[in-house]
Amino acid sequence: MQLNDRPYLHWRQGMSIQDVIDERNFIYPKLVVKLNGKLIRKEDYAATLVAEEDDLKIHHLLAGG
Amino acid sequence: MIRICDVKKYHGIPAEELKRMQDAHVELTRITYDHKPIHRGYTDKYLTVDFSRNSIEITDIDPKVKEVFTGGKGYCLRYLWDEVKPSTRWDSPENAITMSPGPLCGVTQYAGTGKTLLCSISPLTDTPFDTNVGGYFGPLLKFSGFDGLTLKGTAKEDVILVIDGNKNTISIETAPLEHEDAHVLGEELTYMYADDENDRKNVAVVCAGSAAKYSNIGMINFTFYDPNRGVVRLKQAGRGGLGRVFRHKNIKALVCKFSGVKADLNDPYDISIINQVGKKYHKEIHDLDNLQNGMRKVGTANILEVMDAYDILPTNNFKFGSHPGIDRFRSTVFIEKYLTQGAADGCWYGCSMACAKAADHFKLKTGPYKGQAVCIDGPEYENGAGLGPNCGIDDPEAILELNFYCDTYGLDTISFGTMTAFIMECYEAGILNKEITGGLELNFGNWEAALEMMHQIARNEGFGQIAGQGVHKMKKIFVEQYGADAQFLEDIGMEQKGLEYSEYNSKESLAQKGGYGLTNKGPQHDEAWLIFMDQVNNQIPTFEDKAEALYYFPMFRTWFGLLGLCKLPWNDIVPANNSETDEPAKVPEHVQNYFDIYYGITGKHLDTPGMLRMSEKVYQFQRIFNIRMGKGLRKNDAIPYRSSGPVTEEEYLSRQERYDGQLVDLVGFTKEQVAAMSLQEKMAETRKYREAEYEKLIDAVYPRRGWNLNGVPTIERVKDLGIDFPEVLEVIEPLQ
Amino acid sequence: MKRVVKDDSLCIGCRQCEAACSKAFYKVEDSAKSAIRITEKEEGGYEITVCTQCGECAAVCNTGVIQPNAKGVYMLNKKECAGCLMCVGFCPLQIMVQCDDHLEPSKCTACGLCVKACPTGAIRIEEA
Repeated sequence: MQLNDRPYLHWRQGMSIQDVIDERNFIYPKLVVKLNGKLIRKEDYAATLVAEEDDLKIHHLLAGG
Repeated sequence: MIRICDVKKYHGIPAEELKRMQDAHVELTRITYDHKPIHRGYTDKYLTVDFSRNSIEITDIDPKVKEVFTGGKGYCLRYLWDEVKPSTRWDSPENAITMSPGPLCGVTQYAGTGKTLLCSISPLTDTPFDTNVGGYFGPLLKFSGFDGLTLKGTAKEDVILVIDGNKNTISIETAPLEHEDAHVLGEELTYMYADDENDRKNVAVVCAGSAAKYSNIGMINFTFYDPNRGVVRLKQAGRGGLGRVFRHKNIKALVCKFSGVKADLNDPYDISIINQVGKKYHKEIHDLDNLQNGMRKVGTANILEVMDAYDILPTNNFKFGSHPGIDRFRSTVFIEKYLTQGAADGCWYGCSMACAKAADHFKLKTGPYKGQAVCIDGPEYENGAGLGPNCGIDDPEAILELNFYCDTYGLDTISFGTMTAFIMECYEAGILNKEITGGLELNFGNWEAALEMMHQIARNEGFGQIAGQGVHKMKKIFVEQYGADAQFLEDIGMEQKGLEYSEYNSKESLAQKGGYGLTNKGPQHDEAWLIFMDQVNNQIPTFEDKAEALYYFPMFRTWFGLLGLCKLPWNDIVPANNSETDEPAKVPEHVQNYFDIYYGITGKHLDTPGMLRMSEKVYQFQRIFNIRMGKGLRKNDAIPYRSSGPVTEEEYLSRQERYDGQLVDLVGFTKEQVAAMSLQEKMAETRKYREAEYEKLIDAVYPRRGWNLNGVPTIERVKDLGIDFPEVLEVIEPLQ
Repeated sequence: MKRVVKDDSLCIGCRQCEAACSKAFYKVEDSAKSAIRITEKEEGGYEITVCTQCGECAAVCNTGVIQPNAKGVYMLNKKECAGCLMCVGFCPLQIMVQCDDHLEPSKCTACGLCVKACPTGAIRIEEA
């Protein structure tokens, strides 16, 4: 699985987007999540599973003040 | 949780005390002026005050200047250029402080529209240094009839400048009895010049503080009156040491008084569009702030624990990126225990983002105001991070007290934090000891010693006299007087161009190393803040991508400074559908809001290329101004290694898995080779790689910015932008 | 506390309340300038939206120009108001009035003119 265009070494069968967010400790609230280019809404993070060949992007909207 | 409805109003100042102080004023000069009404955001009038001659002069702003420099920071730089010579230093009599609010400044219907820009030759960098600040002075100055103000010369004794925008008078007065510290002085002058309680919101004060006189990190405070608390609040023109210039001129304060703030004072071309955009934005904040950054609850400090979680929070002089004590000072602690909730904390009308938080009736434990219950503005993220974990401090009350004293003494919290962190590392490394510090045990975490050092700066005594000079000058002193290893200090001293770094650990983001290093005025994050985009999101992986970001963002962000706007409302909240847009990182809807407001005020349409071009004229002019002052070349863009990689074994070992992995993944060694290397070899290879990457970054960024490889703007680019004035060409022609 | 209270089930959608409100404060019959709003419900019938005097508009104001009077009605002081429109954006019912020919917004003062205009008693003044 690719996370933000880098190989994600901790992928395991059955993991959801929320699992990735938790494992990576992505605590920032303003995220833009795309799975294989498709936008995933916050309410669907837990139910959306990530397959081994998937391309997952979790972009933080944080550009400083 | 403390709610605004439960906060007792602050005591004012007795009238007889005010009278005694005012009776001691001696008026040195006074003028009455014609008040030219604002047209489409501009007065086109400029005010120049020479304190050596007690002269007050009002001139017309050349339409050509308006066309090229727009306003705000553009005006500040243009007018400063004309006052100074290449040999001018911060304390030269001809050095000036220029200020300008910008054409959109004073809009009341949108958030973050009250910014004033300031510029002067800095005691830290010896170059023109711009800084921006909220508070009411800039908008009231414009409503009083002026698009800009130059303060020059040196008064013989402490004076104040008083502008009354309703009576149209300007005077210079002595002010011998008022106190020097900002939270007292701001209040004294607000009360003194207000007709009554209701009029206090119409008085704005600019003042420094008792330490600004002695320290290169001196800062200038801008006030606004908070009627809900009954107290004068402070916002800071923080960076670059401009407070020292201000006090060196013996300016004690500026006062601007103007009543009658209304939504149409900028003479908008189309007020309707501004109203619509404003209402939409306020509703967005109302609906979404709670779900996003919580700016109304805790301001920018909402990211303290975020930076910690991503290993970016500077800890122990930027050695590490997280602090084990984060739970003691995470933003929720400030929300639950210290910062008053539910208050209208905007630093100008219409700021629904309201990030200017305050802790009320906080009882101080040290210093001249020990035992008093005060209102503390902040902490903002930078203050929390710089005064806290970067100094190894995790006590939230210590952070608040350090924040309070920095503000009232007129010291930049960011420079103070980074500078104290440097001192603490030097102390722990044995370069400093108790004999040198006069007994201060400046270990990481010792907040009492940090505070006492600050009190010493304000009293101009002891080790405070050394500390107050800033990291750049301290490095020299420590080498020459205390035998420190010069290379070690170059590596760990987190300053560049003379300015202390702001509070993000950039080690793992090459783009942010550029965001700090390839700047006009030094390592602040006012130009480009790319850590997340780069390190976490990996959105700009190639040198070309990074160069593009290091072109776009500095230009985009410069624009706010030209117009008199705050950057926070741009992206500290985003519309609900922002993630569905093409470029979420740029927050397209909010950019369009700015174009709409610009049109609403000026009647002129603007788009992204036009915006970037508007900024670039000023950005390149500033670069050339730096070169004129003997800086601004490639060699000045070098960065300390602490900002780029692990200087010490302790740092390397703390993130060994990461660094070892990078030697394989990025540098090209095999795992076996890395396993066979000594720690010193691994550190040397890591350094070699990271330093080479930074040079490659420079090679990519300079051409994108229209510079040659020495960092000098090309004549072609300067001509294209229409800033090819003879005095500009004179600077760059020999360096082509 | 004095305020206008409503019973949606009695509303017949005649909009006399809106007309009375906008005429009183803006001298025109224009529902966009009324501090009471009638909307048709999808399922039929009408919804009346009217200020509950919750005070959120006052809390968001940086200069305290909206203050409750002795009866708990939040009154906007137009002379002191800078027209920042934060109160308009923060009104939970989005029922404050902003129109471009006036610099300041306006809000329900519980004056009762809408109540007098209502033929069915769907709205009334409550004083508790």
